[in-house]
Amino acid sequence: MTPPSTPQLSLPARIVGLAAGLILTAIGVIYGFVQGSSVQVVILAGIATLAAFVWGWRFVLGQFVPEPGTEGEPGELRGVWRRFRGPLIGLALILLAFLVLSLTVDGFLNVWNVLSLLILLAILVLTRTIGRHFEENRSAFIGIMVLAGLFSVGSMNIDGFASTMNIKSMLLFASFLGIASVGQTLVALLGGLDLSIPFIIGAANVGLLYLIGLGVPPWLATIIVLAVGTLLGVVNGFLSFRLQGQALIVTLGTGFAISGGVQIVTSIGTAYGGNVFGTVPAWLTNLSAMNGSTLGLPFPPTIAIWAVIALILIVGMRITLYGRYLYAVGVNRTSSKRVRISELRYWVMMYAVSGFFAAMTGSLLLGWSGGGFIGVGDQYLFLTLAAVVVGGTSLLGGQGGYGFTVIGVLVLQVLSSFLIGIGLDFQWQQFIFGLLIVPMVALYARSPHIRTQI
Amino acid sequence: MSRPEQIGTGVPAVSLQVSASAPATQAALGGRSNPFLLMPITLFFLLLSFDVLRAPTLITSAGIGSAIIVATPLVLATYALMAVVIAGRGTVDLSVGPLIGFINVTMIQLHGAGVLNNPFAVIGYAVFIGALYQFLFALIVIYVRVQPIIVSLSGYLAMSGINLVILPRPGGMAPDWMASWGLGTTIFSPVLLILLLASLAWILFTQTAFYTHLRLMGSDERAAYTSGVPIYLVRIGAHLISGCYAGLASICFTALISSGDPSQGTTYTLIAVTALVLGGASLAGGRGGVFGSFLGAVNLYLITYGLATFSFGSVQSFVTSLAYGTILVLSLLLTLLIPFIQRHVRNFSPLLYFVVLSVVALGVILHAGYDYDTAASAAQALAAHPLPPIDPGRLYVGPLEVSAPSAAEAALRSVAAPIVSGLLLLVVLAVFLRVAITHSGRRSIAPAVAVVVVATVLLGAFMIRHPEGFGAAAPAAEEGSR
Repeated sequence: MTPPSTPQLSLPARIVGLAAGLILTAIGVIYGFVQGSSVQVVILAGIATLAAFVWGWRFVLGQFVPEPGTEGEPGELRGVWRRFRGPLIGLALILLAFLVLSLTVDGFLNVWNVLSLLILLAILVLTRTIGRHFEENRSAFIGIMVLAGLFSVGSMNIDGFASTMNIKSMLLFASFLGIASVGQTLVALLGGLDLSIPFIIGAANVGLLYLIGLGVPPWLATIIVLAVGTLLGVVNGFLSFRLQGQALIVTLGTGFAISGGVQIVTSIGTAYGGNVFGTVPAWLTNLSAMNGSTLGLPFPPTIAIWAVIALILIVGMRITLYGRYLYAVGVNRTSSKRVRISELRYWVMMYAVSGFFAAMTGSLLLGWSGGGFIGVGDQYLFLTLAAVVVGGTSLLGGQGGYGFTVIGVLVLQVLSSFLIGIGLDFQWQQFIFGLLIVPMVALYARSPHIRTQI
Repeated sequence: MSRPEQIGTGVPAVSLQVSASAPATQAALGGRSNPFLLMPITLFFLLLSFDVLRAPTLITSAGIGSAIIVATPLVLATYALMAVVIAGRGTVDLSVGPLIGFINVTMIQLHGAGVLNNPFAVIGYAVFIGALYQFLFALIVIYVRVQPIIVSLSGYLAMSGINLVILPRPGGMAPDWMASWGLGTTIFSPVLLILLLASLAWILFTQTAFYTHLRLMGSDERAAYTSGVPIYLVRIGAHLISGCYAGLASICFTALISSGDPSQGTTYTLIAVTALVLGGASLAGGRGGVFGSFLGAVNLYLITYGLATFSFGSVQSFVTSLAYGTILVLSLLLTLLIPFIQRHVRNFSPLLYFVVLSVVALGVILHAGYDYDTAASAAQALAAHPLPPIDPGRLYVGPLEVSAPSAAEAALRSVAAPIVSGLLLLVVLAVFLRVAITHSGRRSIAPAVAVVVVATVLLGAFMIRHPEGFGAAAPAAEEGSR
């Protein structure tokens, strides 16, 4: 996570930084108690502020960039203006928007919103100044900054945002999205796309309940569903390997076919098209319901499953041969072919994994909702893609990893929870999601100018 | 004395010379022949024959009219996608559907507020908003330098959200003058005019240097940049064109549903991308054309139409979905055969192929229109038992919904059928002449001869069946239908 040349600060500078951070945290804590927030909120917000500040301090001082507007010389001022034209205009715009909002909306100008603004500005300044010193993991850094900022702003502004219940539910929904995005991440690392994920989720959801309704033992039904999901992934892999570049549309086609086929099978002889009714076994409900418990601990096992998957994938892709070869194929398929890595094998394998995890998400969602519905995965069509992109995995292949996607999933989930908290509908959330993706990606994934590519 | 002989033999000598230098000219012409049109053309005629045999009402004034009304928004949406896909960098504009929806709902709301009434104002508004959005899109792609697909994903989410804010549920009224557009009882409607003008505009556009620059940029942006093509300008231009098409698509969509519908975004995006790929365009850029895109979109309509002639009961939409996906994947897999075909057929001419197949399809149409005694009863059965309703949940089927023909339409059909087939024959003749002219300079004229033979045989067969000719065939068919 550290840049190649870590700036070494002198001891006084570190002490000053720590002191400033502590003072800032203390101000936040005092304000928290004055406002009468719960202790959890105050502590979490305090830790977040302190961590963000101290981390920022360590890196920002080493490559200290003159802050705009502090120099007196007119010549320097012009130079500063020329260098920081964009950020300054952006700063002015944000301040203007804030001013307009506080003049028009009653009660907008309170201490929490001012603090939120400061945190937002701090994030922007930090990402602009420090972010460029990260060569490798800039997106992860920005993602974590945004996550910390969002979380602290959320817990300051919204009652119960940092409560155990809300964190638990955020993690649960993040697990669904996270497990669904495993496949999308791996496939994106190879330079492909898998749009069949939502259809497989829906098909697994309906199919599992249908099998249970037929009298198949639930454990066997789950295994069958997972196996079929993997098989469909393999088919996807073979088809889209032959048709690279059109992977988007091939997987969409197989997705249509899968969803149609499963619905025909399940709705023959019933009057309810698209819906299947039946009883979900208790262990499956426990697996993903909000009040489920893991080995006696009060959180649903889905979160634990997601954590394990994430750990295995992050570590595995870093140290195993499979993981390294995966990156090799994604970066340059010609050279990976020269060192005798079978591209077909990796391509099919990743699509199979994608199918497996999509089926798994569908089964887990069945435990959560308790009823089969083919459209349950529809929102994951572009949300998995958004999580991958926001996390920082390049859709062109070879860059990124599952760790990034975890950050992306968390950012999306916390953002969505925050937007619900301030009382916005689903459609407004979607609107804001859309507006935020481009700036977030623009912070780290700008491609170089064409004249530098020749 | 020898001079006249020389002149007399001069003609074959010249033609020999031309044919001797033919490889060079053929190589030059090779760029124009597009083997990727093979698949959409084949699929088109297969589906057309199948549909006509299943339900001859397709080839009537009402059938074609409703086909035009329903398929035009999709065709125009596909054009909108095509313009930016050709520009390269993987610019698959996922936001085209929500953009159409956005223009639709804002237009309906503005009309409801009494602002937009004049046809010119409405069309101007739609085109302007479409172009404005795409202009912003282009600016972001060029100056922020984010991958276009991410920008379009962002636009997709933002606009499908804001559409639901503007118009929470389907409703509202389209302008009065637009109400008659969406009936689809005749072939000639303003929608057809829009479609023809839009296609013509693209064909004219392909004659410009700008189009050449666009294709060059799509195939290899760096090469375009180094050879002095103003790539920023070209990209902005491509997006502006795409925006105009999106605006027109939105107008036709509004005419089709005569109201506002905020939730069609996903539908149109997915089916337009599908249609584009079915039409032989490359999502990687540089390849794509108006003819292929048109065929791709029409093929999708024909698939839905063909499936709607079966009665699957409650699983209708699922069967549609299954068939849809399967045909999509299969036709993509068949494009893998193109290199093999190319190896054996050097100079594939899509135009000629189209002509040959259209003659065959014409035979099928004539057969279905005149020979089937059962055709009329089938039409009556269709009228008596209307087509099963399509589940509104399966949204991507919704816009391709087919109306059940009424008795009046069936009567109109039998009147219009000979005119239509006569027109088709005229078109075939014109196309044939065009082919004959383009092939006059080539070594082999055998395909053209084959076309003549096939056409003559078919015409002869028809004449034998109906000795009275076209004019008298119509009442006979009418009698048959009663």
